[in-house]
Amino acid sequence: MNLAVGLHHFLLLGALLFVCGAVCMATKRNAIGILMGVELVLNAATINFVAFARYNPIFQVEGQIFALFVIVLAAAEAAIALAIVLNFYNNHLTVDVDTAEELKG
Amino acid sequence: MMELLELFGEHPGWYFVAATLVPLLSFVLILLASAMWCALRPFRGTPVCDALFNLFGGEERGRTPAYVATGAIALAFVLSLIGFIRFTAQQSQFETQIEQSQRTLHDLRTRAAAAQGKDKDELQEQIEAEEKKLENKEKMWESARSYAWQGHFDWLRIRPAGLSDPDRGTALQLGFKIDSLSALMFVMVTFVASLIHLFSIGYMSEELQPEVEDHQVHTRYGHLVRRGRFGRFFMFLSLFCFSMLNLVLADNLFQVFLSWELVGICSYLLIGFYFERQSASNAANKAFIVNRIGDAGFILGLLILWTNLGTFHFDEIFHRLRAPLTDSHGGLQLAGRFVRGDLDPAGAADGRQSLKYSPNGAQVVLFPLPQDRAEHYHGVGPDRDDRVDVFDSPKKDQHGAMPYWLLVAAGLGIFLGCVGKSAQFPLHVWLPDAMEGPTPVSALIHAATMVAAGVYLVGRCYPLFAYEALLVIAYTGGITLFVAATIAIVMTDIKKVLAYSTVSQLGYMMLALGVGGWVAGLFHLLTHAFFKALLFLCSGSVIYGCHHEQDMLKMGGLYPKMKITALTMLIGVLAIAGIPLFTGWYSKDAILAQALGFVYVHPQHLFLFLLPLGTAGITAFYMSRLWLMTFTGKPRDEHVYEQAHEAPWTMTVPLIVLAVCSVCIAWGWPVYDAEASWLEHNVHHAQHHAVLADFGNIDYTVSKDHGEYWVVAKKAEENERLYAYYNHHLAGNLALGLVLIGIVFAGLIYWKRILDPAEAVEQFPGLHAFLMDKWRFDWLYSVVVVRPALVVGSWLAWFDLRVIDGIIHGVAYLSVLLSKWDGLFDNSIIDGLVNLVGNATYAAGARLRNVQTGFLRSYVVFLVVAAVGIFMVLAYFVRMAAAG
Repeated sequence: MNLAVGLHHFLLLGALLFVCGAVCMATKRNAIGILMGVELVLNAATINFVAFARYNPIFQVEGQIFALFVIVLAAAEAAIALAIVLNFYNNHLTVDVDTAEELKG
Repeated sequence: MMELLELFGEHPGWYFVAATLVPLLSFVLILLASAMWCALRPFRGTPVCDALFNLFGGEERGRTPAYVATGAIALAFVLSLIGFIRFTAQQSQFETQIEQSQRTLHDLRTRAAAAQGKDKDELQEQIEAEEKKLENKEKMWESARSYAWQGHFDWLRIRPAGLSDPDRGTALQLGFKIDSLSALMFVMVTFVASLIHLFSIGYMSEELQPEVEDHQVHTRYGHLVRRGRFGRFFMFLSLFCFSMLNLVLADNLFQVFLSWELVGICSYLLIGFYFERQSASNAANKAFIVNRIGDAGFILGLLILWTNLGTFHFDEIFHRLRAPLTDSHGGLQLAGRFVRGDLDPAGAADGRQSLKYSPNGAQVVLFPLPQDRAEHYHGVGPDRDDRVDVFDSPKKDQHGAMPYWLLVAAGLGIFLGCVGKSAQFPLHVWLPDAMEGPTPVSALIHAATMVAAGVYLVGRCYPLFAYEALLVIAYTGGITLFVAATIAIVMTDIKKVLAYSTVSQLGYMMLALGVGGWVAGLFHLLTHAFFKALLFLCSGSVIYGCHHEQDMLKMGGLYPKMKITALTMLIGVLAIAGIPLFTGWYSKDAILAQALGFVYVHPQHLFLFLLPLGTAGITAFYMSRLWLMTFTGKPRDEHVYEQAHEAPWTMTVPLIVLAVCSVCIAWGWPVYDAEASWLEHNVHHAQHHAVLADFGNIDYTVSKDHGEYWVVAKKAEENERLYAYYNHHLAGNLALGLVLIGIVFAGLIYWKRILDPAEAVEQFPGLHAFLMDKWRFDWLYSVVVVRPALVVGSWLAWFDLRVIDGIIHGVAYLSVLLSKWDGLFDNSIIDGLVNLVGNATYAAGARLRNVQTGFLRSYVVFLVVAAVGIFMVLAYFVRMAAAG
């Protein structure tokens, strides 16, 4: 049994993390929880980039740089999202996203 | 500028072209200025527009148009005069040389006839040399004339398909050709028109006001008040002059026809100048419609000529129709006449037929161009060919033939046009009504332009009139001059008398042209222009002085009030009556002499002399009556008499100038010799040799061995011109006697009042009424033409209302019905389909809106599901690609 860690393991970890994030987004009613789900999804993507950078020589540089980009973007996104949440709270006096159903068809 | 001077120097004919174009320029200028003025009017208020508007005369437009038009026609007169002088100088220079040469030749011939032996041979040589010299001189004059005094350019060329050669095909051309007749006409027209323009400045001054009250038009609010039309009057006058000059200038029938129609429309516009008056607009319509009848004939004549000859050029037409002056044998008997013959069916071959000469044949030979080649005509006679090959569809340089009756018809057609324009029986009815126009217009129409056009054209086209056509012309003239003179006796409207006298004088001219007095007729046209213009302007002055009173029954005793008018008018009366030494005497005597000569040769046409002779007396009577009723005796109407006054100088100066011309324009040396008239001599230069061929002898073509020909020259007892020459004094004295009787008679009745005209009326009430009704021509036309036309019109109206309108209404009803069905279909089926689609879409939308829950979490689920779905599909395709 070969227990050496390979690309598949990383991808598996990324997928697991992505699913966790997606489920988190789908199930949480709290806006902050959804934000955390988003962070998980972004991190899953980052892991994929880094893994490819490590195991595929073609993406050696690009993978790393994209990972850095994702991290920066995540930070920016978190700032904007928190601002939206704050505004949302100011309008609805709660952070329960189910109360935001004005766009219902 | 230098080029222009050179052009005028080398081609002095351009003086006349310029003289024609100047009035056109004036017309265009006045028209453009008026258009600018009208266009600027609404935009006043801005400085630029105001400045321009004031430049064009502002609200008070002033006399500028009159000055422009008068200046233009005066300039045209100066140009024509220069051209005329140059033409006459050149012509007389050549003519003196030719005459001298002829005289030497005559001398030599007489001496040769008497001489013997060696002398005779020497003389013969001299004669031949002199003959050559004469021929050269004649040729030089011809070429000088065609170089300096002619010109033309293509206006429209019709080429057979595929031909690019610019000279092939047939062409409508514009051009000019000056001979002494057109030069004289130019001077006369521009001179008389200039004076009439000057007179009009005074006469039409009422039209200068911004608001003119027309006392003859009644509306619901009283008399009609309208804007003054001073500029418009002069604009039309300019166009009228241009049309007339262009007509005289033309070297082809087509150009004549264009000007002809322009003259017609101008007369329409000017006769209907006061178009608010019912009578004026009716008169304008009448003039136009009656002329249309004549023009229909004119067009037919043109079509016949165009079809058979393929050209409208005067010279080409005449050259093709009339035999050349010399034939291939040196002499010729049919010179300048029509050569007739019959087609020989046996001799037909490849596009040609053989034509056998015969004096009364059904065909007329068309001679090939160019004319001066003698071999084109082989002569007629026992030792000549008695036939010629003619082409079925001849080109211009080939022999051809056309039916003689078509030639007669063409002549009659063109003459019908002249009948309309020159107001001859039976189309004379428009001219007296044309008095509705302003008096200067009447003068212009009657003296210089419109009615002169008809006579001028008959003179121009003389060589294409066959004998039968000439007889019709003569009789038309004879009837016209008598009918019009009798009507003039009873008319009391001063202008109507003059109108009928014009018709009568035009009849004289037509008669003269018909009986071979070509020179006499056109001579009378020129002299008549002066004294008739004088008479009309005098009557205008009287009417102006009497505040628009035209009825002679309200005048009388006006002599002390308007002496200049009375005296000048007296000169006009004496001139038209034919008192010796006045212009009318020279020309009228010439006409009577020619008529007498004609009757000598053709005694069966006796009336052609009796009518003009008797009418000479009638003319003297009614013209004296006119003058005596107006100026002598006691005033018949105090009111008119009190207000009467002499006209201003712009009106009297033309009268005096015209009076001087009416006395001495026809003088020659010696003055008392009726044959010595300078003007007549000048007209004589333009005479086409065909006139001499038909009514006299072409003496300079005496053949070398004449006497043997098949058709011999006119014998002395058939020579109308010769008889006219011999009997000039007889005819003149007879006429003078009748004229004096007429004047004395008029004096007894209207001056001394010994005889009472009312008694004469009582004695012959029927005749008087008949004459007052103008021989009932208007009644006749009303019964024969107008009323049937109205009846047919009412039938057509009924047909229109019932049948045509019925059909249209039926169609309309059916359309409405059809539209209703169509509407139903539209509403139910087409709209139903559209609504169905709309409703279905709406329902689908209503269903789908449930998907949009508004819950963030469900969107995330959708996203995930969709992403997974896309990946599954992608994975499927990737696997398929890898496998396949």
